[in-house]
Amino acid sequence: MTIIATLLQVLPYYFDIPPLKDAAGTASNAVLLIVACATFVGVISILQVHGKRVQRRVEGWYFSVLVFVFVIIMVLTGLPLAEFGLGRNNSIFNWVFTNIQTPLGGTMYSILAFFITSAAVRAFKARNIEAAIVLVSGTLMVLGNAPLFTSPIPVLVDISLWIRNVPNMATMRGVMIGAALGAIALAVRTLMGIERGYLRGGGEE
Amino acid sequence: MAFLIQGRIFGLICLLFIMAAVAYYIKQAQAGKVPKVRRIPGIDAIDESIGRAVEMGRPVFCSHGIANLRDATTGPQTIAGLSVLNYVAKRCVAVGARIVVPVRQPEVWPIASDIVETEYKLAGKGEEFDPDSVQFLSSEQFGFSSNYMGLMMREKPGANIMVGAYWAESLQLAETGSRIGAMQITGTAQTSQIPFFLVTSDYCLIGEEIYSAGAYLTNDASLIASLAGQDVGRIIAVVLSFLGAITFTMGSRILLDLFAM
Repeated sequence: MTIIATLLQVLPYYFDIPPLKDAAGTASNAVLLIVACATFVGVISILQVHGKRVQRRVEGWYFSVLVFVFVIIMVLTGLPLAEFGLGRNNSIFNWVFTNIQTPLGGTMYSILAFFITSAAVRAFKARNIEAAIVLVSGTLMVLGNAPLFTSPIPVLVDISLWIRNVPNMATMRGVMIGAALGAIALAVRTLMGIERGYLRGGGEE
Repeated sequence: MAFLIQGRIFGLICLLFIMAAVAYYIKQAQAGKVPKVRRIPGIDAIDESIGRAVEMGRPVFCSHGIANLRDATTGPQTIAGLSVLNYVAKRCVAVGARIVVPVRQPEVWPIASDIVETEYKLAGKGEEFDPDSVQFLSSEQFGFSSNYMGLMMREKPGANIMVGAYWAESLQLAETGSRIGAMQITGTAQTSQIPFFLVTSDYCLIGEEIYSAGAYLTNDASLIASLAGQDVGRIIAVVLSFLGAITFTMGSRILLDLFAM
């Protein structure tokens, strides 16, 4: 089954055979439907986990009550029933999304700046040659992107661009090629049915 | 040959060549000639991290990334992460460590849960499996990230193993794991996230190393042999890059025309 399903998706990429292309499209649509159904599995998992937390009154159980409340609100108000005023244009749905979910997501994204700073403080220590190179190049990149320093010293921009476009790009391209080849080898192993680590009871000695 | 799509013929030839090389080395392995694989410290450290978690009486967190299984570039990373999860679950069951698996994609949750449950059953400890140990957290990227971070702050895992496709939340998760003192083994093929994992984790699998994790951990001869076939593809890429640089510098477009065949 794995081999058939894989060939069904790979062959139409290289061969222009309309019936095969139609079959691949139908299979892809079927997968999308299965994935959409899997969304409910996730909701059930959330309700199970948080339901037990509320039932056992574990530490922070009231947060689980909040999860329940918002899951129910968003599920009900987001139902695709426009004739009842529900769906994407529902005011409550939009209010919660715009005033709670979006700002929370933005907040999480923005605290990355502080995480980067704390990680940099730990990482940028010249313990050896490699670390010293990371420290120097990182400092030059930061300086080359700050107008406070690039205005009086314009060459910083050229240096930071060179670091990004030459050694960094070469390394990244090498990693990308290697990763792509690894993915191909993994796909070939899956196609041949010998990669079973992700299957039930697979990878046994 | 009219049904071959223009512009993809050379790619098909390369793919067939790599597949033939993988098949050749697998056949060689089945005849007893198994190629040697270099040590990958990050994968070797998985057992050490699980042992450390057991000694500390703390759980093991094992995440397989935040991508689904359908995407062409990130799907293989998720499969690689699930292969690692398979091994980690087996080791945790063997040593009695509690495993927690945070999940972002609902379509992957049943697979991850099945992997962990199967390892418990294979060890004869089916009744010890806790379904809540494989938790679907959120399909939103930062909903998953904040939930995972909160889990780590509360549970304080002794080991945090993250192998798969990650994006911006990679630094948040790895930094949090570092702050709580967990031994971290990370790995991704997302080039933009590799630097973050490198500076925040104890061991980092870079790019293709995550795809070889499954073969390395199971020590299966066929899987290890397929890594040699993968190296044939690498040799092809290097030779073509070298030839392409030379021919293009000399003003010839022969290789470009070949790629566009």
